[in-house]
Amino acid sequence: MAEFVGAFAASHAPLIARDWDKLPAASRDIITADFRELGKRLTAAKPDAMVILSPDHWTNFFLDNLPSVCIGVGDSHDGPPEPFMKDFPRSIAGHAALGRHIAATALNDDFEPSISHRMALDHGFCIPLQKMELARLPRIVPIVVNDLEPPMPSIKRCFAWGKLLAKAIASYPEKLRVAVFATGGLSHSIGEPTMGAIDEAFDRDCIKAFQKGDEGPITALLDARMEAAGNGTHEVRNWVIAHAAAGSRGFDLIDYRNMPEVYVGCGWASWSA
Amino acid sequence: MTDYWLSKFIYDLQKPGAIPEYRADRGKVIARYPQLEPEVVQALLSDDVAFLAPRVNAYLLRYYFGFAGMSDEKFLAALHAMQPGTVSKEEAGETSHG
Repeated sequence: MAEFVGAFAASHAPLIARDWDKLPAASRDIITADFRELGKRLTAAKPDAMVILSPDHWTNFFLDNLPSVCIGVGDSHDGPPEPFMKDFPRSIAGHAALGRHIAATALNDDFEPSISHRMALDHGFCIPLQKMELARLPRIVPIVVNDLEPPMPSIKRCFAWGKLLAKAIASYPEKLRVAVFATGGLSHSIGEPTMGAIDEAFDRDCIKAFQKGDEGPITALLDARMEAAGNGTHEVRNWVIAHAAAGSRGFDLIDYRNMPEVYVGCGWASWSA
Repeated sequence: MTDYWLSKFIYDLQKPGAIPEYRADRGKVIARYPQLEPEVVQALLSDDVAFLAPRVNAYLLRYYFGFAGMSDEKFLAALHAMQPGTVSKEEAGETSHG
């Protein structure tokens, strides 16, 4: 049977890639150190496969077809289309069997995800993968969660998805070490009149809630304050799914930084297995 | 209210080669989208952030003005001017008093 070996989370921001050379040296040092620590923890977990949760930034999906959750079930996926990510590999190995198993488990449990046999993985997926400087990238199962355009999955449903992931990993019939990785958040506002605003108080309350772990207070906090903390803050949904996949315990903050230079309240964290 | 054709227009600008073509001749690219309302076309041609913002997803709005070549500084200033309570230069009487 497969084994859950830990969950991990990191923010992403296009400017971390696009404007890397223009960022203050101190910011580059912080970002580099925090992603390296996250990569070190991920490497120590020795995953054979990794489920990665990210929003889709209008790369695979549009208003014509906008799934709430889409599971990548392909053997390979395309690298990021953004010009500022051109140094990232053009093809990324997928774990098709695990993807199919997660989709089948979901459908059997009355979830209705869409599936994709080949996704283009934009900066949301790939900035953390790139900045962690992993010696070996595990085969991945990308999962797009709609954090971008209403209506989005409820926080309650994100908890349910996390539990479903844990169940699917535990019931996968082959020996496999599986990590879960969430990208996005914490607070940020993009393309709105409040663009550039970071709600540090919200971010720190959010971190405290994950540290305490309980589902009810996290749901109450996010339902009450996530919307006002900026449109990018909706990506905290991915952290919720990772949190629930880890059994709502074991959250360990690596670092939090209010980084207006990349427009994002940046967090790095892991959950123990 | 989401404007589907404006959204589609911006989404399609992500295709390879589209940005240089748009920057070279906006009118030529816009002409391929006859569904766009005349006032939307005018807003595209005049970089009217405030007019377009309520009609399209905020991420697409950001992409559009990046594709169109607007600096982050100018885009942010235009967005921030939309915040409730923000007074424009005209409203504040900072112009035409010379």
